[in-house]
Amino acid sequence: MKQQNLWIIIPLLVLFFLILPIYLFYPRLTKLQHDPWSFLPQHTQHTDHSQLMPGPYADGSAVTKECLQCHEETAIEVMQNAHWTWESEPVELPERQEAVVLGKKNAINNFCIGVRSNWPPCTACHVGYGWVDETFDFEDPSAIDCIVCHDQSGQYIKTKGGYPAEGVDLALAAQSVGIPTRENCGGCHFRGGGGNAVKHGDLDESLYYPSERIDIHMGKHEFICTDCHRTREHNIMGRSISVSSDDRNQIYCIDCHAMNVHQDERLNLHNLSVACQACHIPEAAVKEATKMHWDWSAAGQDLPEDPHDYIKIKGRFVYERNIKPDYFWYNGNTKPYLFGDTIDPDEVTMLNEPRGSIDDPNARIWPFKIHLAEQIYDKTYNYLLQPKTWGKGGYWTEFDWDKAARLGSKAVGLPYSGSFGFTSTAMFWPITHMVAPTSKTLQCNDCHGEEGEQRLNWAALGYEGDPMLYGGRKN
Amino acid sequence: MWFHKSMRLFLVVIFPLAMVFGQNMHPVFPLLDEDDKNVLKSNNPISTLRTCGGCHDTDYISSHSFHSQVGFDQIKEAGKTESGRPWDFSPGMFGRWNSLVYRYLPAEYDEYLDPGRAEWLKLFGARHVGGGPAVYSVNGERLDDLTMKEESQRLNSQRGKIETWDWKQSGVVEMNCFLCHIPNPNNNARLNALKSGTFKWANTATLLETGIVREKNGTYSYIRSAFGPQQNLSADYILVQEPKNDNCGFCHGLVHDDPNIPLITAGCQPQHWMTETTGQVITAQRLVDSGMNLKNKRDLNRSWDIHAERLLNCIDCHHSINNPFFYQEDPESRPAHLLFSPRRLELEDYLYRPSHQFARGQSSFAGLAPELKATMRRCESCHDFNVAHPWLPYRQRHQNSVTCESCHIPKLYAPARRLLDWSILTADQKPRMECRSIDGPAKDISTLVKGYKPVLLPRREYDGRIRFAPYNLITVWFWTFGDPERPVRLYDLKRALFAGNNYHPDVIEALDSNKNNKIDSDECLLDTKAKQNAIRRRLSALGLENLQLCGEIQPFAIHHNVTHGEWVVRDCQACHNHPSNTTRPFLLAQNYPYGIIPCMVQDAQLAHDGRVIEMDNKLFYQTNARAAGFFILGLNSVLWVQIIGAASVILVLLGIVLHAGMRLRSKAVHSEESVKTHQIYMYSVYERFWHWMQAATIIGLIFTGLVIHAPDVFGFLSFEAAVWVHNILAVILVVNAFLSLFYHFASGNIKRYLPEPQGFFNQAVQQMSYYLRGIFRNQPHPFEKTPEKRLNPLQKITYLVILNILLPVQIITGILIWGAQHWPEFLSKVGGLELLIPFHSLIAWFFAAFLLLHIYLTTTGHTPTSNIRAMIVGWEEIEMKSQESRHEQ
Repeated sequence: MKQQNLWIIIPLLVLFFLILPIYLFYPRLTKLQHDPWSFLPQHTQHTDHSQLMPGPYADGSAVTKECLQCHEETAIEVMQNAHWTWESEPVELPERQEAVVLGKKNAINNFCIGVRSNWPPCTACHVGYGWVDETFDFEDPSAIDCIVCHDQSGQYIKTKGGYPAEGVDLALAAQSVGIPTRENCGGCHFRGGGGNAVKHGDLDESLYYPSERIDIHMGKHEFICTDCHRTREHNIMGRSISVSSDDRNQIYCIDCHAMNVHQDERLNLHNLSVACQACHIPEAAVKEATKMHWDWSAAGQDLPEDPHDYIKIKGRFVYERNIKPDYFWYNGNTKPYLFGDTIDPDEVTMLNEPRGSIDDPNARIWPFKIHLAEQIYDKTYNYLLQPKTWGKGGYWTEFDWDKAARLGSKAVGLPYSGSFGFTSTAMFWPITHMVAPTSKTLQCNDCHGEEGEQRLNWAALGYEGDPMLYGGRKN
Repeated sequence: MWFHKSMRLFLVVIFPLAMVFGQNMHPVFPLLDEDDKNVLKSNNPISTLRTCGGCHDTDYISSHSFHSQVGFDQIKEAGKTESGRPWDFSPGMFGRWNSLVYRYLPAEYDEYLDPGRAEWLKLFGARHVGGGPAVYSVNGERLDDLTMKEESQRLNSQRGKIETWDWKQSGVVEMNCFLCHIPNPNNNARLNALKSGTFKWANTATLLETGIVREKNGTYSYIRSAFGPQQNLSADYILVQEPKNDNCGFCHGLVHDDPNIPLITAGCQPQHWMTETTGQVITAQRLVDSGMNLKNKRDLNRSWDIHAERLLNCIDCHHSINNPFFYQEDPESRPAHLLFSPRRLELEDYLYRPSHQFARGQSSFAGLAPELKATMRRCESCHDFNVAHPWLPYRQRHQNSVTCESCHIPKLYAPARRLLDWSILTADQKPRMECRSIDGPAKDISTLVKGYKPVLLPRREYDGRIRFAPYNLITVWFWTFGDPERPVRLYDLKRALFAGNNYHPDVIEALDSNKNNKIDSDECLLDTKAKQNAIRRRLSALGLENLQLCGEIQPFAIHHNVTHGEWVVRDCQACHNHPSNTTRPFLLAQNYPYGIIPCMVQDAQLAHDGRVIEMDNKLFYQTNARAAGFFILGLNSVLWVQIIGAASVILVLLGIVLHAGMRLRSKAVHSEESVKTHQIYMYSVYERFWHWMQAATIIGLIFTGLVIHAPDVFGFLSFEAAVWVHNILAVILVVNAFLSLFYHFASGNIKRYLPEPQGFFNQAVQQMSYYLRGIFRNQPHPFEKTPEKRLNPLQKITYLVILNILLPVQIITGILIWGAQHWPEFLSKVGGLELLIPFHSLIAWFFAAFLLLHIYLTTTGHTPTSNIRAMIVGWEEIEMKSQESRHEQ
């Protein structure tokens, strides 16, 4: 009677032959089974350090040394990070013979122009202590500032040379450490260029507590920076083309979102040539005005001062908010201007021109904020100069361009002829934060059609005409 | 700032857009008056026919375009038009009474004249492009050369007298080329010129503020700087273009093409015809960006109109039918093997004679430009239904019974008219009105706009099929008089209701129910017979006879404001349910004149007219999908089928309860005999597998069938899933049945099912008497149960019926229902879904009844569970003692 137990096979068979056809033939809906949330990093509860870091601490380095006692590997991790080195890995650029090592350390921009000889005010945003001149030791682990990124006490402030400001309670800060929040990142990144909203156009203090309209990710979904700028072993993902010229370690929308996420095929086809940002960020500087133009040549006059209009030490500014971006082909790489490159002073010099064109299959049409400036250059050698602005002999103390240029050039290591002028430069700031809710994205008629003010200049982008009528690019 | 801007300009190298799009290619021309003289010399009004006629065949255009003729060239005897109204004499705006505007233009001279040709032009000129009835008399004379008096007559409503209109003085309105062919024509100036009766200047006024014409105190003059050396209009002022959406919008509906200005429409505005009648608005703007107080606006991030959003123009679908770019030879005259006929008008021929007959759909009132019916680009001309709806089951069937608009225009957001009640006028001498989408006052933009879902009506379409399509229904109540009957003139209505600017005392007495000596807005309604009689008496006093209060419903088809994606109706249960979108009562009136039930107009082009029903003192319209030939699963059922089916199941249940009760009672009386039993291997593995497979599929089919037929009861289950599972189970059932048939034939076991002819009847009676008597007396089973003779005579006959009749019939009807989308013609030959579906349900009921009986009878074995156990494990406990072994089932 062993067979008696075999009857169990029959219901199993019946179930199998019922479920299998239903499974096989029930129509799969084409609806995307895509869940962007599944790509978000899980933030674990941070260990409470209030008992572990009793203090008191004489200085920042003392805190760091105590951190490193447990987190032994961390110093090596941090010291490879651009937040510490302020320079990139060597990058091969098509128009240069040698690989280029570029970073905040040695780049030129058209805001405060350059770091060298101006270290103390610039390095207030360096994750270290004591970078006040070229002798700073990048191999010294105790000079790392752990607290600036991990402090949750809210009272930790860095000042010149990266040192903690007077009155900061180091023990309180050390005991409060946690995973970096918007405040940790924003303290430097929202204030790039020397103040709130100056530089990027899509990063400013409105992102501490943004509305849904300002940024859908942070305003509606409560993202913190590290949700997208995923960080492993202190390698923080993300690039800024003001200091990086390639796209290694970059972050993309499709890290979380499906490429063809639209229900509408016409929209999905746009992915071949348009970056997500182009439609989903209709305006930058949504709440806070950002700097669009800086005229250094107007500096030094005794005029009424207004930080959004004119400051004697810096010159004249133009700020704008709700800016409509400009649109260019961009494949993730840039063509950086390096110290010593010859310019045509009658033309606008591009400091970080985005690479890409209609013929480049990797390029997409991207939105940019363009920051223009009038900045100092050497009239004889025809290259841009980096003036010393801060400190003794600097322009901000003595208002002497010649002296500032001479001292600055010495620090950079460029000859200075003694004859200077001002020339126009442009910097490109890709717009990628401040993603708007769906209801504010661009519509067809923002770029296509005949009527109204179109955002895209099809001819300048290399099209024969509006691709709606003339067809898209052929690759 | 300027510096910065110029730098950006410099940075971004700008090619003038004109390089890409081309400059206006139209050659320069002089503006001519009626006498072919340059208006600069004569200072006369511009004649569009002469000016544009220099190159284009304007006489041809004007005499061939319905836009110009509006029925003027199709005048018939009054009462003989498709509308069936005794006073209508053409299918177009000139001759078909517009009950929303109300004024009645008689076909022939009528002492009750209102308004007369000149007044018609003032009023309807707002939606008429000129030419046709604005230039010619019925006899073909120009109105300004008129010798006959009739068409010069007009009612002077101030004086109450019929006067003669001086056409010489006023001039006529030629077809207005500028209104459609220049950007931003001055339509308001045109309307003012029409209203003031200076008809001949109306077209010239269209050019005001373009820099060509100026006007001061009613005198028009030409601005010299706009003209070049040869007194031609300078190229800079020639902006001739193809008509854009806002050109069409002047007459047809609200067009809003500036994305930066929030759209606001207070609703029910007569100046936007299509918007007034249906709530359609042509704009790319998102609902959320509009300036309107929309309910749940925050979530409405769809555009008002997807085609406007995608930058389509009206003329992309409503093109001039001889435009060679769009021209398609009529399928009836095209050889079947030709997909495309390349022979067509050359561009120059087209530019000489563009017909200006614009391709149209098929849904407006019958008789309206019938030669243009269904000439336009329809949804399916551009969209591939099958590619766009991969998820939709029964695609062909849906495509053949539902228009695209039914699902793709789920809701309209701008307020539209619900009714106009001309039986009484409000204090400001307007009809009583109701508006859809809103509860509050229509003019107040703070009123919450909820939007309304259109009603689905069955329409007979160009291809002969009947499809559901969305409509708005506007009901109008009005008085008629005389013989033949015609609407009471507004002039007379006002005279009857008002004395000066106030209501006549008799009217106040009849309607003022709260006795405050005023007619409040909620009293302004003839909601009793007495009130109607009071107004009737007032009208009779004016000498009007044969007074009738009538109501009519006009359907206005909805084709615009299409949406896509998540906004579309995709839920099967929207229609396959009870209530269903196809039969949802559609509100006609919150309040209406007592007892006057309105009727659908006769030229509505519906395949079937539904019924008007009264609920809670409101009027509703309800489509009858069944009567229109639809049998909608989940909504429609046949009552007697349900009654018979349910009765059969209930009877079986009652029988079981009775029988079981008696068995229990008899067991209590007769003590259980101890019987020796032995185990027999009754059912092989395959037989058991086959049986349970059959059982599972049948139970699954009955259950999913229930879900399909009563989705409202099983609201938590997906209708779509039920349909799919039902179909898959059906295939499993059929495959299983065939495999077992093969097994029974191959093994010869089929014999077990065949009744032995000899003594069958006696044996059946024996078995019957066992169930009815023996079983209660604890008698043994009449026949021995063995693997070979496992079925008793009653089982044999039952299974013969089920397997040879019920199951095949169920399979065939099921396949036919499924095949409705593949062989619709064959299906209609065998009775259509309305026959097959109820039949299928009836048999399903019988299956359910059999199932219950079958399960009950399994308990009549040696022990109540021995049969079931046998069907599971194969071994059955059989009574040994008696010759006749016990039997199962």
